[in-house]
Amino acid sequence: MQQTIHPKGTDSGARFADIFWKKPGLLIFLFLLPPLLWLGVIYLGSLFTLLLHSFFSIDEFSGLIRYEFTLKTYAELLSPANFDVILRTILMACAVTVAAAVIAFPIAYYASRYANPKIKALFYLGVMLPLWSSYLVKIYAWKLILAKQGIINWMVEGTGATFLLNSVLALPVIGGNSLAVSYIGTFIVLVYVWLPFMILPIQAALERIPDSLLDASGDLGAAPQQTFKLVVLPLALPGVIAGSIFTFSLTMGDYIVPQIIGSSRRFIGQAVYAHQGTAGNIPLAAAFAVVPIAVMVIYLYLAKKRGAFDAL
Amino acid sequence: MVTAVKFDNVSRRFDTDVAVNGIDLKIREGEFFAMLGPSGSGKTTCLRLISGIDRPSAGHIEIFGVRSENIPPNRRPINTVFQDYALFPHLKVLDNVAYGLLVKGVAKNDRYQAAEQLLELVKLKGYGNRMPAQLSGGQRQRVALARALINQPRVLLLDEPLGALDLKLREQMQEELKALQQSLGITFVFVTHDQGEALSMSDRIAIINEGALEQVGTPQEIYQTPRTRFVAEFVGSSNVLSPRLSVRCGAGSNWSSLRPEEVKLGVPGAGRADGTLQSVRYLGASNYVTVMLEEDQLAVLVSTTDALPAIGSKVSVNWDSDAQHIMDDE
Repeated sequence: MQQTIHPKGTDSGARFADIFWKKPGLLIFLFLLPPLLWLGVIYLGSLFTLLLHSFFSIDEFSGLIRYEFTLKTYAELLSPANFDVILRTILMACAVTVAAAVIAFPIAYYASRYANPKIKALFYLGVMLPLWSSYLVKIYAWKLILAKQGIINWMVEGTGATFLLNSVLALPVIGGNSLAVSYIGTFIVLVYVWLPFMILPIQAALERIPDSLLDASGDLGAAPQQTFKLVVLPLALPGVIAGSIFTFSLTMGDYIVPQIIGSSRRFIGQAVYAHQGTAGNIPLAAAFAVVPIAVMVIYLYLAKKRGAFDAL
Repeated sequence: MVTAVKFDNVSRRFDTDVAVNGIDLKIREGEFFAMLGPSGSGKTTCLRLISGIDRPSAGHIEIFGVRSENIPPNRRPINTVFQDYALFPHLKVLDNVAYGLLVKGVAKNDRYQAAEQLLELVKLKGYGNRMPAQLSGGQRQRVALARALINQPRVLLLDEPLGALDLKLREQMQEELKALQQSLGITFVFVTHDQGEALSMSDRIAIINEGALEQVGTPQEIYQTPRTRFVAEFVGSSNVLSPRLSVRCGAGSNWSSLRPEEVKLGVPGAGRADGTLQSVRYLGASNYVTVMLEEDQLAVLVSTTDALPAIGSKVSVNWDSDAQHIMDDE
C-alpha cells in the first residue's frame, strides 16, 4: 500500500512535532528555560545580592546593616585576624589540591591506560563509593581514626614508631595534641573527601589521549619519561586543572571538616558561617565569600594564560 | 644487497588470536616494499613489530643485521607515518615536525630550521604556525610524513597513509611518495589493502593473508604468476580455474589462474569450451563480461572497440596455454 501524505498532522502530538521541526530553536529554548531560570535568576541573582552586601557595612552601635556603598568591610577583611583566616584557607586549599593531584594522577593513569573493562568497573565503584555515603559519617569516622585512641595511633604504637608520629605532631603550626586536632588531620581528611573530584577529570582527560600519540612519540625517539613530559602531561593538563578547580574551591568553601577535625583556628567557611549567623554581620560574611570567587577567577585566568586549555 | 629488515619465523599472538604466523621475509635496503592484504590480515602488526612498538611472541627480527627484540622503538633507525597520522594536537605544525629533534636535545633554532626545510619538501611551507586541527586530511598526512623524516630514518614505515584521502588526492600523493622515496633513497615499507596502489608504487610486494605470507615478488610476478588462489583473487580480478574446469577446457588438471584480459570470445565451437554470455559491465575502456560454462563462471575483459554478442547468446572461450598459471593449491 502506498503511503498518504498528510500536510497537517493527524493528531495533536504530530502537530506539535511539526511545529518543533519547523522551528528547532523553539524546542531548545523550552529545554533551556528551566535551567536558565534556575541558574541565571535564582543562583546568579543571589550571588549578585551577596556581592552587593559586601559593599555595605555594619553599624557598630546598633548592629544594623547600613545600606550605603563603602569599602569599609573590605578594609576589615584585611585586618590581621581576618587576613589570617584567608591565608590559612588558601594555603590549605593549595596543599590539598597539590596532594590530591599527586595521589590521583597515578591512579587515573592506571585506570585509563592499563585497566581492563572489569577492573575499570571496580575502579569506578571504588572511586565513587565514598561519595555515596554521608559526608558527616565519613568525617566522624575519620575523627575516630585520627584520635589519640584511634587505629592510627594503635598501629604506630604496635610498630614502635611512636617517636616518629610524636616528632611530626611536635612540628610547630601544623602539629598538635593528636592528629585529630592538628592541621595535618584537617589536611588528610580534606584530601580524602575531595580526591574523587580530582581522579575522575584526570582519568577522563587521559582516556581521550589516543595510544597512537604515545606510539608516535616513542617512534620519533622519545624515551618514556620524555613522552610523559611532552605528550601525556600537556594533554592531561585540562583534566588536572578541572580537578583542581573542584578540590580547590571545595576546600576553600568547606566549613564542616575544619570544624570537626583540626585546631580551633577558623577557615573562610567557618568565618562566613559565624558572621552571617550569630554575629549577624552579613556584609563581612559576604566579603569573606567573595574571596574564594576572586581567587578562582585569578587562578583560571592564569591557567588560561599559561595555555592550560589549549589542548581542549 | 644489504638487508634492511629480516623476519625470521616471526609470530605475534594476542591471547587466542594469531595476528602474525611464522613469517620469513627480507626487505632490502633502498626498496619500496609494500605489504598488501585485506584488513585484519596482520600487516599493521608486522609494521609495529618492525618499529618496536610491539614485540614478537616468537622468532626474531633483524634490523640491518642487528637482532632487535630488546631494542626499544626510540633507539631504532626507523620512523613511522601512522594510519591516523597521530599528530600531537597540542603542538603547532612546526613543533610536531621538530619533535624528533627536540627529544634528541637539538637547540631550538637548529631544529626549527630543519623542520622548515622538511615542510618545504612536503610543500607545506608557511604552515608551521598552524595547529594540526586547522589542516585538511591531505595536509596532515604531509605533516606526518615530514615529522617521520626529520630523524633521517634508514627505514620509513607507512601504515595505510593514503587510506583517508579522496581518490584524486590519493593518486597525487602516490606519485609524490614514490618520487620522494627515489630521491631520498631510503627503504619504504608501505602497508595497504589497495592492490592498485601496491602494484603501481612498489618495487616488491608481500601478500599477507590471515597472518601468513602468501607470496613475495615484483608487481609483475604477483600479477601475472600468482602462487595461490588467494593471491590470484585478491590482486586484480583473476579467474581461478578449478581442476574440474581445466579438465573440461583441455587445460591441465591443477588449480590455475587466468587473467580476464587473456581470454578471447569466439563463435560457438571455435574455442576450448562453449558457454553462455551471462552479464556485461561497462568499465570505460573495456567491458567486463561473465560467461557461464555450465556451473563455472569465467570473467572476460573485452575491449569496447570489439563487437559484443548479446546477453544469453552462446559463445566460445579460448586462451593461450602460456597465459594460464599453475598454483600451489591442491
